Amino acid sequence: MAENKLAEKIEMREAFGNAMVEVGRQFPQVVVLDADLNTSSKIVYFKKAFPDRFFQVGIAEQNLFGIAAGLALTGFIPFPSTFAVFASRRALDQVAISICYPKLNVKIPGSYVGLPTSRAGASHNCIEDIAIMRVLPNMRVADPGDNQDLRAIIHTAILTDGPVYFRITRLTVDDIFDADHQFEWGKGRLLKRGYDVTLFGTGMMTSLCLRAADLLAQDGIDAEVIHLASIKPIDRELISDSVARTGCAVTAENASVVGGFGCAVLEVLAETVPVPLLRIGVQDCWVDSGGIDELFTYHKMQPVDIAAAARQVVGMKRPFQISRSG
Amino acid sequence: MTKKLEAEELKDLENMAYQIRRLSLEMICYGQWGHPGGSFSMAEILAVLYFHTMNIKPDKIAWESRDRLILSKAHGSPALYAALALRGYFPIEKLYTYCELDGILEGHTDMKRTPGLESSGGPLGMGLSVAAGICLGLRMKEEPRARVFCIMGDGEVNEGNIWEAAMAAAHYHLDNLIAILDYNKVMAKGMVNQLMGIEPLADKWSAFGWEVIEVDGHDIEELVNALYQARWIKPHGAPIVIIAHTVKGKGIETAEFNYKWHTQAPDPQTTDAMLRELSRRYKKPEEGYSRICEPVRKETFYGGE
Repeated sequence: MAENKLAEKIEMREAFGNAMVEVGRQFPQVVVLDADLNTSSKIVYFKKAFPDRFFQVGIAEQNLFGIAAGLALTGFIPFPSTFAVFASRRALDQVAISICYPKLNVKIPGSYVGLPTSRAGASHNCIEDIAIMRVLPNMRVADPGDNQDLRAIIHTAILTDGPVYFRITRLTVDDIFDADHQFEWGKGRLLKRGYDVTLFGTGMMTSLCLRAADLLAQDGIDAEVIHLASIKPIDRELISDSVARTGCAVTAENASVVGGFGCAVLEVLAETVPVPLLRIGVQDCWVDSGGIDELFTYHKMQPVDIAAAARQVVGMKRPFQISRSG
Repeated sequence: MTKKLEAEELKDLENMAYQIRRLSLEMICYGQWGHPGGSFSMAEILAVLYFHTMNIKPDKIAWESRDRLILSKAHGSPALYAALALRGYFPIEKLYTYCELDGILEGHTDMKRTPGLESSGGPLGMGLSVAAGICLGLRMKEEPRARVFCIMGDGEVNEGNIWEAAMAAAHYHLDNLIAILDYNKVMAKGMVNQLMGIEPLADKWSAFGWEVIEVDGHDIEELVNALYQARWIKPHGAPIVIIAHTVKGKGIETAEFNYKWHTQAPDPQTTDAMLRELSRRYKKPEEGYSRICEPVRKETFYGGE
């Protein structure tokens, strides 16, 4: 993508707006619906480029998803765009029955996820969307690790039959992937090979896992880092193969640890290679207003916290697993 | 300008409404679950839509220019399934797979399973948004002839989602949208005006920018004419709602205006008596439950609410 060559760092929501314009050019059947948040989500770029394929539905999220279902029924690929809290909580029944039950081709971008929404407070700092969306049959769920990953997810989502939910944070995140990066459902990425512990990251937390691995290396702990943007379906093979070698794991998500990404990894491990595992994320509490960095510290989701969890979980390994990891 | 029916046409449509009631009841009895009250109240509406108004090709289900029907009050599914079977979307015998694990007819509508369904539903208040979305899509695809019909219940308009959709349909000037409100005056657990009043109903829709037509929803000629007006005369930039005044449970005296027959499966004996009552009401030869159901009757009855 030409725009990305000069790549000054941009917020993920900016990358979302840009990617939507790109796919808008490529796929004439892509249409966008908005519930009065387009300049925040940056879907406004699509609105400016394709005014005839942009529908404002007002502050009415139930209707947002109902109309999206209707557009999908006439062969379009709608992106009903709103904040993740409203997509997952306010309009859950519409998402479930009007869209997921008949497996309609609707792609749902959940904007403003997790802690980086920050000062807006508990009502807007979305931590429950992964758990909620993951439980819906037919729904696929992805949380991109960087802007290229987001772009690749959007492309794959359009070529995927059925409903997709993907997350977008407002933050500028570290670059992990190159411009030719591709996204595939159910495929994770091994970012760093290691032997003592596996750090499973999803979304923006993967880059924090990479920083945690650097911290652990200073202590002589060799951490493997795996990025799992595809939360559902999840890469069962990569997860169990890695942990069979390392013997323990830490998961990290920019969301609640209840029912979300960490649980998805746990489910795989419980059924394949049961090992000690600790989950980094919001520990079943509301995320009140605060500065972004401050919130990551308060909720123990900084790289130092991931590293501390890794040290702890290495100590929980059973003896035979420690010997295997040497 | 009105639409006149030939005597023969009228007789055919009346017969279809009768058959829709019979088959709905047999299905509910056989499945031992379902909603007779709301199925009976819209029997004439469905008969007129599927056998007179709607431009459809049952042998070419995905024909792009077809009219669509969204059943927002999806618990009325037995009546819709009966209409679809009678219209030739699937064999009548398939009606006896209603609510069966390996059947093609879910308790509430599942478009993936049933030929001729245009959406899936169950939770009330959602259908009008889906219908509005289809109308937008048809406009983008430049299908000016196709209409989207959406049947809503009366209690359903308690749902906020209905009014979100109403606002949006008027905002987008969706005059290819024809909503039909089955105003049978009764909700699941009592009368509409006692549980949550919705009057003045016509004024509400007018205030939201809709064109409103009120009819007797059991009078076939009035329905035919209203739907003709809605398709050919009224469209001038506003969506159209037909408020059809109906009787919940219409056709069976004990069920009429009786919320106890909102969700209720009668046992085979009661069903038999009800079917006989229906035949008498419609001046048909008296027929009971045994007509189609006997070969597939189940051994135990565990129905009810």
